[in-house]
Amino acid sequence: MIELDSSLIIIDRAPYGYEDAFSGFYICIACLNKEVDSDVLLLGDGVYSALKNQDSENALNFPSVEDLTYLIFPEGSLFVHEKSLKERGFMAKDLVEAAELINEQELYEILISKTKKTAFLRI
Amino acid sequence: MENNSKKMLTIVLTEGPYRSQYADIAYEIASSALYKKYRVNIFLYMDATHIPKKEQNPHSFPNVAQKFRKLMKQGAKIRACVRCATARGHSCTQKSYIPGITITSIYELAEWIKKSHRVISLGD
Repeated sequence: MIELDSSLIIIDRAPYGYEDAFSGFYICIACLNKEVDSDVLLLGDGVYSALKNQDSENALNFPSVEDLTYLIFPEGSLFVHEKSLKERGFMAKDLVEAAELINEQELYEILISKTKKTAFLRI
Repeated sequence: MENNSKKMLTIVLTEGPYRSQYADIAYEIASSALYKKYRVNIFLYMDATHIPKKEQNPHSFPNVAQKFRKLMKQGAKIRACVRCATARGHSCTQKSYIPGITITSIYELAEWIKKSHRVISLGD
């Protein structure tokens, strides 16, 4: 059996209403810092984390999840599930620069490409 | 029994005690892995940092802190995220945790992931 060398952080909750998005990005940032190849996958309400022009500092007095997306880029990828995004009325132009839209087939290929050496963490 | 002594299992737990069964599930998985001679790490993240608090007195459920203490006696390493723990009032100076729990940074989880053969995340 081999040790792990990558991680995929799966976030499916919206930021601010829950701590999960922040915490997921923090794990990804720490992994990248320790040279563990890491990406974030946003599904369901998790796609809200990738919207640009978030104003949480003024509106909620919360740090911005949008800022965290730039801390994983370009070493890590920020995958955004296209179907989840469209279901919520948003398009690619609404997303931060680091976001990479993926359709069902691409999601499948990403998951398949991850080998037994990947830690999958749903946060 | 298969020799698993060089294999490492890391469990990332994100839910607190009692409201859900995740802490108990983590305990069962960790116990089984220790029995099979795995090295076991448990990283307590977000509300899971409440789990090792001292002086819990649940009337209807088994005391989850005591379960985790048992795991440590069997060799498991248990760490609590410093950001999450301090946000919830658990600090190193107040010694609010049962003995053996270390409060540490998220970077230790990253190190554990790198050294692990399996990682399981548990939480709602």
